[in-house]
Amino acid sequence: MGEGLPMADDGKRAFGFSGTWRDYAPIAFTNLLLTIVTLGVYRFRATTRTRRYLWSRTRFVDEPLEWGGTGLELLIGFLIVLVVLGPPFLFLNFGMQALIFQGHVALAFGIGFVAFAIILYMSGLASFRMLRYRLSQTWWHGIRGGSNDKGWAYGWSYIWRNFVGAFPAYLLMPWAMISLWNERWNAMSFGPFAFRGEAESGGLYKRFLIFYQLPFLLVIGAIALPFLFDGRMKPVEPGSEPSTALLLFFMVVPLTLFLILPLIALAFYSKFLRVAVDGLSLATLDFRFTARTKDWFKLVLGDVALVILTLGIGAIFLAYRHWKFFIDHLDATGEISLSELTQSTTAAPGQGEGLADAFDMGAF
Amino acid sequence: MTSIGPDEGIWHFDGISATRHHPRLDWTADGFALVLEEGTSGLHPWSDLVPLGGTGGRSIYGLRGVNGWRLAFAGPPPAPFAVHLPLPARYGRWIDRLGLWWALGLFAGLAALVVLIALRAPAWIAPHVPIAWEQKLGDAMVGDLGGRLCETPGSRAAIEKLRRQLGADVPIRQIGIANVPMINAVAMPGGRILLFDGLIREAKSPDEIAGVLAHEIGHVRNRDTMTALVRQLGLSVLLGGFDGNVGGAINGLLAMSYSREAERAADLYSIGAIRAAGISPLPTAVFFDKLGKLSGGERAERAMSWMASHPVSAERKAAFEQSAVKGKRYVPSLSAAEWRAVVNACREDPDVKKAGPIFGF
Repeated sequence: MGEGLPMADDGKRAFGFSGTWRDYAPIAFTNLLLTIVTLGVYRFRATTRTRRYLWSRTRFVDEPLEWGGTGLELLIGFLIVLVVLGPPFLFLNFGMQALIFQGHVALAFGIGFVAFAIILYMSGLASFRMLRYRLSQTWWHGIRGGSNDKGWAYGWSYIWRNFVGAFPAYLLMPWAMISLWNERWNAMSFGPFAFRGEAESGGLYKRFLIFYQLPFLLVIGAIALPFLFDGRMKPVEPGSEPSTALLLFFMVVPLTLFLILPLIALAFYSKFLRVAVDGLSLATLDFRFTARTKDWFKLVLGDVALVILTLGIGAIFLAYRHWKFFIDHLDATGEISLSELTQSTTAAPGQGEGLADAFDMGAF
Repeated sequence: MTSIGPDEGIWHFDGISATRHHPRLDWTADGFALVLEEGTSGLHPWSDLVPLGGTGGRSIYGLRGVNGWRLAFAGPPPAPFAVHLPLPARYGRWIDRLGLWWALGLFAGLAALVVLIALRAPAWIAPHVPIAWEQKLGDAMVGDLGGRLCETPGSRAAIEKLRRQLGADVPIRQIGIANVPMINAVAMPGGRILLFDGLIREAKSPDEIAGVLAHEIGHVRNRDTMTALVRQLGLSVLLGGFDGNVGGAINGLLAMSYSREAERAADLYSIGAIRAAGISPLPTAVFFDKLGKLSGGERAERAMSWMASHPVSAERKAAFEQSAVKGKRYVPSLSAAEWRAVVNACREDPDVKKAGPIFGF
């Protein structure tokens, strides 16, 4: 067909990001200023401006994406969350305390448990709604994505899959994460085409087990270390010089806690996202995500350096960095028929991702 | 009628399919039309055209009422076409109209006003909350403290004597001794005061307790608890659960703090009350000294005094010391027997719940 857009025939990636931080800086700084002087109210509009910029500099094949969302939608989403989550939070802040004060500890914890379940359900719902909102406001060639599912069932799925994943000593968590990813994406569409999430969790287990076993190994190592160096345990006498083993112990433990554990978590997450995105397709398009652990490591290191060296101001560039990272490593192969890519018939949600915002959720 | 195109630099998506069209544009003063191979779309009035911002050097327009409809130019639109077009919004409509710097100034002024009001509002609102509400609130929040209130006939009489001396005209509903091992005393909403058993055991004489109790009575008289409650309520609505940190939400009645002015006012009341009752302020001064040492010494306190809500213990000690009149004969606030009854209230009350930290304390 004459309208087919083949990909990767000229060696170019399907996705490309052409923004520069110099272009983005005026947006970032005016957003910061306006957000401060409006005591945060401008934040919704600021998010919209940032996304307009990022999306418009993101090319898919022959045409940039377009962000269609508005600040008003995000504000409405925020207000809805305020009304829905406000009373439970107020209860947790004041009511629970009052109950404990009066000696109804069991009742307080019972209600606390229900509140916890509600929060878990809402977290699942939030991650679904966030994806749905973002797809519904992402336009390409005048066509948008979306979902006809409102995510109510996904909220339950989120609870039981996480429960099953955690029950056998957390060993099924990779399965829970992947199956939830698939379920979420299988409810989404772009134009007339449904996304298909067919990722499998099997490939994740090697890394997961390293990550999972490390704390146990650490405990064993921490106990064994003094023996290795000293040969025998000596009680530390006040005033005496601490032994080398003890010094080593106090260096190794924080080092592992603050460096090695997050690093392995990063390695796992990097693999997770590759597996998850590689299992994703839309009609004849197959997606791929190519960021490896070392890329993630550089991203995180860059983030930390940026924020610290600028005494925090650099944080306004994080959204930009993360989006660039995401697009730079996203690829797609296959062919897309423009005439068959017709307008989405899904309902466009009128409010933004307030719920995900309230739970401080990341994009992917 | 004026025309332009078709041209590679002018394209159109109809919002129905993803196919890219290169239309010819025809326009008059009233509106414009897109002439495509499939037929003509229009005449659309100029006012239906919506400029889209942030498009990276390209000029893109939407059409009111048709989702996904786009008309795009590779650069700026041709001048004769452009004269009919509105400008895209940049920072937002209101800000664009004012200009960025004017808007920044205006918003900063408004923000300062809002912050000022928000800081002052609790103190303005609190006196207008009906006492009956406050009492109900206090009952709901504290109740009987899970059976941890200690009382014997002797302690009741002794506490009543203290109340008559220190706050006869203050609407106090209850002064209770709580079986909690903490060196603290709190004023609760609804005119209720709790003296913790740990505080009483730490005190060497009834006069130390009298100073602390009079301070809490000062809070009740000034309705400081209500002010703090209104402030905490406002803060938890504004910040509490919505910063993405559910667990870190402002916690607890003990986290509820009074302003430094409120603390000073309560100290002033305390000094005045014990003077009027003929009780010596010196034991209370000694007691504050002791509290200061418990909280890490004067230097640590001074370092944090900008943030802390209590006046530095050394200052309070000095204030109480200075109020002492040389050569005056002070009377003890309680007799030895009455003081013993207070100290032993928690041991002698047969049905008090056993001591232990209340969860959340």
